[in-house]
Amino acid sequence: MSNRIITYTEAIKEATDQIMDVDHNVVVMGLEVSYKNGADGTTAGLKKKYPHRIIETPQSENAVTGMAVGAAITGLHPIVHHGRVEFALFAADQIFTQAAKWNYMFGGGHPVPVVFRINIGRQWGQGPQHTQALYSLFGNALGIKVVIPSTPSMAKGLLISAVRDKNPVVILEPRWLFSLKQNVSIESYDKPLDKAVVVNEGADVTIVAYGDGLIAAHEALELIGDDVGVDLIDLVSINPIDYETVYKSVKKTGRIITIDTTNHAFSVGSDIISNVAQQKLLHLKNIPISISCPDVPVPTSTILTESYYPTKVDIANTVLRQLGKPTIKHDLTFEEIHTSPNYIIK
Amino acid sequence: MLLDAYKKMFLIRIAEEQLADYYLKNKIMSLVHFYVGQEAIAVGVCDALHKNDRVMGNHRSHGHYLAKGGDLKKMVCELFGKECGSSHGKGGSMHMIDTSVNFIGSTPILSSAVPLSCGSALEQKYHKSDMITVVFLGDGAFEEGGVYESLNLSTLFKLPLLIVLENNLRSIDTRLWERRSSAHDTKKIVTGFGVQYVKADGNDYLDVVGKVRKLIPEVREGKPALIECMTYRHMAHSGPTFEEETREEDTIEQRKENDSVLKIRQKILDSGITEEEVIAVENNIKKTVTNAIVFAKRAPFPKKESLYTDLYV
Repeated sequence: MSNRIITYTEAIKEATDQIMDVDHNVVVMGLEVSYKNGADGTTAGLKKKYPHRIIETPQSENAVTGMAVGAAITGLHPIVHHGRVEFALFAADQIFTQAAKWNYMFGGGHPVPVVFRINIGRQWGQGPQHTQALYSLFGNALGIKVVIPSTPSMAKGLLISAVRDKNPVVILEPRWLFSLKQNVSIESYDKPLDKAVVVNEGADVTIVAYGDGLIAAHEALELIGDDVGVDLIDLVSINPIDYETVYKSVKKTGRIITIDTTNHAFSVGSDIISNVAQQKLLHLKNIPISISCPDVPVPTSTILTESYYPTKVDIANTVLRQLGKPTIKHDLTFEEIHTSPNYIIK
Repeated sequence: MLLDAYKKMFLIRIAEEQLADYYLKNKIMSLVHFYVGQEAIAVGVCDALHKNDRVMGNHRSHGHYLAKGGDLKKMVCELFGKECGSSHGKGGSMHMIDTSVNFIGSTPILSSAVPLSCGSALEQKYHKSDMITVVFLGDGAFEEGGVYESLNLSTLFKLPLLIVLENNLRSIDTRLWERRSSAHDTKKIVTGFGVQYVKADGNDYLDVVGKVRKLIPEVREGKPALIECMTYRHMAHSGPTFEEETREEDTIEQRKENDSVLKIRQKILDSGITEEEVIAVENNIKKTVTNAIVFAKRAPFPKKESLYTDLYV
């Protein structure tokens, strides 16, 4: 199997190409998906290869998404691209009420094989209405599967699984990770939609994270060093959540930290901590900690966003405090705080 | 043949009236929006279709479902919350479906089915099928934004889509003039998107079926159309009863005078079929409905565990 280094967005494009090549009912719909650098590069060049299957659409998120759902009900496998979660909210009825409930409300046997690719969250200079990280909305909606790819390799494998799945699948793609690079297999492969992955093993503390929060946790591991063993869990799916993997880890470590790159109220982290707290057999050795953002929207000025998102230092020191160890002093550069990661991740 | 159309319209009428009785007795624990008064539209449209053409409906879709050939027993069972219902008790009245006759679903969130029907028509075009998709919506739904977005999609992608707008002058209880300015012009809106517009008397089966038949060949070629059928809703928005004094544009006299079922019955008598023959046909249909209700009452409820099934395929 041959590998090479590609970015998060290139991984999405490659998955789309490979799945379109084998499944002739796959179509892609969205704004500018047919353009040269279509959908941030995630559909670049595909219009040439699949002229009738890369469908340029008007700025009508509600009807376009509904059209994709209707096409899925009747035999196509559409992938709908929403460049910002705020615009996907125009299609809330079609995602949460139509696609998500279709099979259940008709008593089963009515598959809706549609994929909603929705870009979400943090990006420099985008302000309160372009950076909302509305993960919990999607985690709360029954009848959809919701995954968050945290690396290029997961982005590729999860998209291929999502297209093959017969249920509506929402892929929340954190914009912050678009330039992240990784050694990714050139072959087509899939990753399970409902399994969390332990990406680093350790015996002392469990960190549960997803998306850009997971990448920050990765960076924190380097600061912490080898003295403390961190079980780092990439949650992968927030609907449903793979509690088996979470509980197994917490049973081992007795400590849990969750990371959200959005505010704490009704967040993924608060829900996980609530469920962990209700498990008698986990025998927690310390209080669970949720790391998240302040309860205000994301402002635009860098001076205001400087302390908005959890950093690798915040995460490292939370881990050290859990174990009663001395904290680290580390000054972050402007780039470390404000620009998205573009390095090669293991 | 006119008698066949009458049988279908009478079936919808009598099924709704009998079910309304049960609804009032609290025997039906599913919110029901009755179709009484609008039968000529569902039957007129569906009679003009090929059996492989697809239909989508809304919250008031018993008529659409039955006119497309949906199974009566499954429908009644669904209303009674039974396992053998068309949605195994999970949907109820607002979620009618019978894919075996290409009635591919109904959804009560106003206008939601219109984008969905664009998707069905897109699939038909993608797979080079000769079939079309028909979607029913009311005058209330016509005020939802998704409809305008869909009108644009339908011409942009040349979809084989027929939109049937059933204008019964009321959204729940609100009247048309309370919801639209006096300058509102449905025809201009629709044709402004490049969609063909035709208006029909929704209380007249022959007018509806004739106009739809005329429209369909072009719709099959990918030229979408909207037919607005003017009609009266005889019952309340949901459930059968309402205060008659709230009705102004659709008084009991107007509703009776324009009753599509009575109208077509008279035409049949005028054509030479005797009253006795018509009554025999009607009694047969009444018996079918009664049998379906008896069947549904005796049918088993779903197993309690099925609460947890079908979240995913």
